[in-house]
Amino acid sequence: MSQHPPKARVLFVDDEPRVLTTMRMLFRNQYDVLTADSGQAALELLKTQAVDVIVSDQRMPGMTGIEMLRAARELNPAAMRILLTGYSDLNAIIGSINEGEIFRFINKPWSNDDLTATVARAVAAARASAAAAQAGDGSAPIGPPPGVLVLDDDPQVPARIQTILGADFRVVAARSMEEAVNLLEKERIGVIISDTRVADSPVLGLISTLKQHHPELVSVILTERADAGTAIELINQGQIYRFITKPIHDSQCKITVSSALRQHHRLAQSPELHQRYEVAAPKAQPAAAESPQAKLMDRIRTLRTVVKRWV
Amino acid sequence: MSGSGPDIRSRHGGEIRDGGVRMTWRKMLPLFAAVLAVAAIGVLAFLVRKTQTVDNALHLERLKNIRTVDALDVGLNRAVTQVGVSTMVNVADKRAVTTAQLGNALDALENGPAALRGLSPEIDTALDRFLDTIESKFELAFDFEARNILVNQRLIAGLDAVPVAADELVARLGADKAEPARALATQLKTEVTTYGVVQTPVNEDNIRALLEQFEALAAGGPEATQEALHRLRARVNDVIADKNELVRRISDFLARPTAEHLEELEKAYMGWHGQQVAIANEYRLLLAAYAAVLLLVLAWLGIRLRRSYRLLDRANAELARANEHLEEQVQARTRDLSETLKRLQESQAQLIQSEKMASLGQMVAGVAHEINTPLGYARSNAEIVRNALAEIRGLVAAQTRALQLMTSENASDEEVAQALTAAHGIAESIDAEQLTTELDTLLADADHGLQQIAELVASLKDFSRVDRSRTDLFNVNDGIESALKICHNQLKHRIEVIKAYGQLPPIECSPSQLNQVFLNLITNAAQAIADTGRIYIHTAADAEGVTIRILDTGCGMTEEVRARIFEPFFTTKPVGKGTGLGLSIVYRIVEDHGGRIEVRSAPGKGSEFKIRLPLRQNRAGTAAAASGPAVDAALAAA
Repeated sequence: MSQHPPKARVLFVDDEPRVLTTMRMLFRNQYDVLTADSGQAALELLKTQAVDVIVSDQRMPGMTGIEMLRAARELNPAAMRILLTGYSDLNAIIGSINEGEIFRFINKPWSNDDLTATVARAVAAARASAAAAQAGDGSAPIGPPPGVLVLDDDPQVPARIQTILGADFRVVAARSMEEAVNLLEKERIGVIISDTRVADSPVLGLISTLKQHHPELVSVILTERADAGTAIELINQGQIYRFITKPIHDSQCKITVSSALRQHHRLAQSPELHQRYEVAAPKAQPAAAESPQAKLMDRIRTLRTVVKRWV
Repeated sequence: MSGSGPDIRSRHGGEIRDGGVRMTWRKMLPLFAAVLAVAAIGVLAFLVRKTQTVDNALHLERLKNIRTVDALDVGLNRAVTQVGVSTMVNVADKRAVTTAQLGNALDALENGPAALRGLSPEIDTALDRFLDTIESKFELAFDFEARNILVNQRLIAGLDAVPVAADELVARLGADKAEPARALATQLKTEVTTYGVVQTPVNEDNIRALLEQFEALAAGGPEATQEALHRLRARVNDVIADKNELVRRISDFLARPTAEHLEELEKAYMGWHGQQVAIANEYRLLLAAYAAVLLLVLAWLGIRLRRSYRLLDRANAELARANEHLEEQVQARTRDLSETLKRLQESQAQLIQSEKMASLGQMVAGVAHEINTPLGYARSNAEIVRNALAEIRGLVAAQTRALQLMTSENASDEEVAQALTAAHGIAESIDAEQLTTELDTLLADADHGLQQIAELVASLKDFSRVDRSRTDLFNVNDGIESALKICHNQLKHRIEVIKAYGQLPPIECSPSQLNQVFLNLITNAAQAIADTGRIYIHTAADAEGVTIRILDTGCGMTEEVRARIFEPFFTTKPVGKGTGLGLSIVYRIVEDHGGRIEVRSAPGKGSEFKIRLPLRQNRAGTAAAASGPAVDAALAAA
């Protein structure tokens, strides 16, 4: 695949053969379509050949889609992972974010246009990042690590996280999105830890805009309001890196933040990776430019230069 | 809810343990009291015995013994004294009798119940001394007796000889001196006789003086006179000597200090007795104190008893009062209870409703997944076919054009060839033959998907049976089948369902409620199976009704869980995963149908639910089955 074959390879995994037939019909013109009717078969196939994109059903006998994607990530880390599912419980979704590091969720029944567009983006990202992925992690971070921004209504959460992470990490706290943007303008931030809602507004817009304009910023969701729909939106539109639930577990929190900071470093070092974390445009059109939300988004867009300077 | 189970049990266990301690204490209490009473009586007996150690009768007998000995001693003295002055035989006999009596009396001091011997060392010493003394006295008595006859006879002879000698002397003295001599002789005779007869003579000096006077009369007299004087003197001296011996022996005998020693013995005994009496008195004092303490205890117990009686009386009075108000209280309580019951029923109905909605939601979510997959590919296939149709339309258009040109007279050959080439090119590019085959496949797949969706929707309808009457004649096998379809997505790939349906007659029931029962039991069975396993479903009929058995190879349950499984709100699922109402509703539905549900289970092996349903409902049962408002409302909502 590093030889830039004429067609990208896409693997479809589903226990319903009719779905595989449909996929073959739908994509055979653009891609080299591979199919597997179970997780085990998909992993066997991945052992012998690399693919650019894996699209998998969640509910399959023997092995769930997430289990398969987690194993596939070990076998073929460069492949973009997409979960195609009719019905998933929250744990499965959180698992797929944290363990599968997936690119998108697609709900059944799917729309052919959306599916082809998403697969096309995934293929483009895979192609673009192929070289960087092969190059590995790159150099070790130089200088002090960037700060961790904690966005939460509860003022105890940032203190708690600072305690857990220890003095090596710099934790800054924000209790509203405006405060968060102020801090992002002033400080060098690598990771944002946020609840799903802050001061009664969803953070999805902020996270999504940040990811669009500053792909090297890594977001982690820390919440007790776990909700499957929100999690799916956050992955599809915000490319959140991790989704963890309160109460905070020390070791889980520390591992997550360290890993997020490494991810940030990797993204800052290799801009070609950014496409892998490209977000989908939100379905609803943004509000009029006069609204405070929109002004905030404008400020985030202008952050670009500032962040670039730090990176 | 499940969390409170162990609490209740442990609390219950605690009560049993406490109860055990209290029970043993209760059992021990009478035993303890009995031991205490026996000890108290023992102490009492001991004290009484201690006060009884001074036996007054014995004391008097001892004293009498001592007096007897004293009297006999005095008697012996008198006897010996009498012997001293008399030679009468019976006097000696009397002494022997007295001696024998004294021996017996002494023996009584030494041995027997009233003996003094061994009472105390002081008494023993005094007794020994007294016995030694009296023994020596006996010896003296024997000596005296032995000497007495001889000396007495000699004395009598001497007494007889003195007047003779005196008369001889008077005769010798001559006439001139006859007058005074005769007087002297008479005096002398009297004095000597007196000396010999009197018990303790004191007139020896008189005798000596008379003899001096005789000597003076005889002074210067002839030899014969002197000799007569000498003989008289000798006789008188004999009498005096004999008498003195007798007197000495008697006084020796009498001087033995038996009386004093006996007195000492008595004193020693009295001392001992006084001591005993003092000890007994001490114990008597103790006894009195002890009796006082016992009386106090008794008084205390009495007061306590009285107080508890008073409490009992008061409680009785209160009870009586309470009884009077009982009627009102019962009414008030009944009002409260019926209000609470109403509230409870309302909230139970709400809970049942929310349980229904929750399980309905779960069911719908599962069915949605089931529907979304065929819907996904059917829709996608339709889109692909539509896109392909555009291509085919292009081909048809090109071919039509070529055909038109070929049949048109105006068209040049060149144009026709061009059109044919174009049409052919399109046909080549889209591979029309293969495309149509593929389109057939896609349409067949879409058909299949739609068929699947139709079946799922039909099974939902079958399951909910909203289009049927509430009570109906219904084949239970159909109900199980529709429940299996509904939860198919929970079972597929994971659980093998083995069905053994018997020929069942339709039974009178509420089909939607029974379907709810089957779905709940099958879902539970599926949830009990962690990974893969089997569910066996047996149905059978007999003359009275039908029996449905649902067995699983799941985790089973413990006896505690099994016993509580039909309780409302009892659940073994984590908080938020189940309301714990499912099986309680199952139980109610089966009861409402006049049926029975039983469960058997072995932890680690699996569980079996057995439902027995009658063929026909009796009127009350039908009414109950039809009047499950919450259940029906929930199912109607489906």
